[in-house]
Amino acid sequence: MAPLETPLPRSRGMSVASVFERYGLIVFLLALLLVAAALSPTFLQPANLVNVLTIAAPLGMVVVGQTFVILVRGLDLSVASLMATVAVLATAFKATTNDAIPLIFVAAIAFSAVVGLVNGWLIAKRNVSPFLATLAMMIILQGVRFAYTGGAPISTLPPGMGFLASGRILGIPVNLITLALLAIVFGIVLHRSRLGREIFMVGSNRKAAFLNGVAPDRVIIFCYVICSVCAGIGGLFLLGYVGTVSNWVGQGYELDSIVAAVMGGVALTGGRGNIFAALLGVAVLVVINNLVLLLGFPIEMQLIIKGIIIIGAAAFYRTRLA
Amino acid sequence: MSAVVAEFRRNRLSLSYVIVVALLILLVVAGGFLSDRFLTWRNFGNLFQQLVVLGMVSLGQTFVVLLGGIDLAVGSLVSASTVFIAHFLEWRPDLLWLALPLALIAATAIGALNGLLTIVLRVHPLIVTLGMSSIIFGGTLMYNKEPGGSVPRGLADFSYAKLWGIPVTAIVLVAVFALAGLWLQRSRSGRSIYFVGGDREAARLNGLPVNRIVVMVYALSGLCAGLAAIFLTARTGVGDPRIGTALTLQSITPVVVGGTVLAGGRGGVLGTLLGVLLVTMLNNLLNFLNVSSYYQWVIQGLIIIIAVSIHTTRRRQ
Repeated sequence: MAPLETPLPRSRGMSVASVFERYGLIVFLLALLLVAAALSPTFLQPANLVNVLTIAAPLGMVVVGQTFVILVRGLDLSVASLMATVAVLATAFKATTNDAIPLIFVAAIAFSAVVGLVNGWLIAKRNVSPFLATLAMMIILQGVRFAYTGGAPISTLPPGMGFLASGRILGIPVNLITLALLAIVFGIVLHRSRLGREIFMVGSNRKAAFLNGVAPDRVIIFCYVICSVCAGIGGLFLLGYVGTVSNWVGQGYELDSIVAAVMGGVALTGGRGNIFAALLGVAVLVVINNLVLLLGFPIEMQLIIKGIIIIGAAAFYRTRLA
Repeated sequence: MSAVVAEFRRNRLSLSYVIVVALLILLVVAGGFLSDRFLTWRNFGNLFQQLVVLGMVSLGQTFVVLLGGIDLAVGSLVSASTVFIAHFLEWRPDLLWLALPLALIAATAIGALNGLLTIVLRVHPLIVTLGMSSIIFGGTLMYNKEPGGSVPRGLADFSYAKLWGIPVTAIVLVAVFALAGLWLQRSRSGRSIYFVGGDREAARLNGLPVNRIVVMVYALSGLCAGLAAIFLTARTGVGDPRIGTALTLQSITPVVVGGTVLAGGRGGVLGTLLGVLLVTMLNNLLNFLNVSSYYQWVIQGLIIIIAVSIHTTRRRQ
């Protein structure tokens, strides 16, 4: 994979290609919205748009984290399993009043951070491939979760959890506010801070980063912790949306989050990407999913389209870089 | 003593075989103590029958991993093939001779397409096969969401047939592994997989037909998935669009446990066969001990992590 490391030539004006690279996804999204509006009159109705955004919010949170690990040449397959485990953890308090919600949040974030720490440690310090480490973590979390629940879904939740999905502050859905906050905070960390620069350095060349005084292991572990914490928060919001805890809350989010990030131009070879473009990827994915349903296609069609998109998007950005 | 260790260090592969074999012996001894039904001929017969499908898929996965790739489409491909076989045979039970080769050709073609896409689009195999998996799974579900179809008596009998008390399917599996091992070690095309997996650029500069080898290896993985589907359909009697889902990830465990390095170029099929035996035997023993399948997942995850850390740490030294 080394031959692709040559930097893109920087032109002073904006060439057609660079405009396309920078705004291509926005143009694609706008075109998609136009097509959706033209094909289905229900699409532009506020109820449907709010619905689309509500579905997009937890996925967006996961993608914010997934972007961090992909930037350091990683990948986290355990996010979906973690989401479900966090959801089960939320019921473990058997709380019936809203007083427990802060406690649930603290517990969920702490648990997620530990999972991220283990992932990061295995990958950075033990040299386990990200694919296998997070895959094993996914299986382990799944086993622990099922052993606890015995396979049956449970639902003793504080009533206020529903607020995470349907609540509004000043008329704006609270899950979108949370997503925006996460994206802005982590966007600043990634694109404006020293740590962010170190993440890009480690992602594009770990050895060079080390020689420049960066501690790659620490940076990598940090990224996995961020990823797990984002997934944990996303899990709680998704739980608020679905209401009951099943053992499979979030299933498919590992694939979807990678698809969205790749579609948003985050390179799987590391060191290249933008958190906000990754969120545009989420928007495209969710609109396509919604469109499939509105047009009356069977839901399985989403799987096929998703598969084509993931290969196509990866190929598109590969070609742009080459 | 240290000379022996050094010798093993130089030849990594044999050391990982030693570890797996030691674990297997440990497991058999422990199993004998822990359960009086474990060390019976009857149980071993069942065990060999259980490992056939996983063994077949893992064999294909081994080729791909040796090449430095990964095939995440095998599970969906197995499911899709069982659906195809069972529904075709329900429609025309007399066309068994046509149905099975057709399934194998289709599975091989889809595998080859995976390889082709990684070359033409220059996309990482993880993404290509993940995407293909999604496409195949969606397509299969669109055709039929429920298990269905049926197989003629002859095919079902084949899956339970025994020769001197050993399941015929297990004998077939071992024979296939032996052939694959010979091919990898002795033939030019087999050995070229190691070259390409070790250093693709160097292989290209040495005049190897790299692209052709890549396509061939992914096609082989597809063929193995197709064969696994035949075994599976024969035993269950139906085509199930979800039956292979777990196989994708399960097929990777024996490969890495058997010492084949995910980065490519090192390893072999003997390790994978031992890995399959280890994983299946462990699950079998845990079943006897009434350990819930949930904890079996935990154990499987731990095995992956431990196996991979051992191998990768040794490579670092």
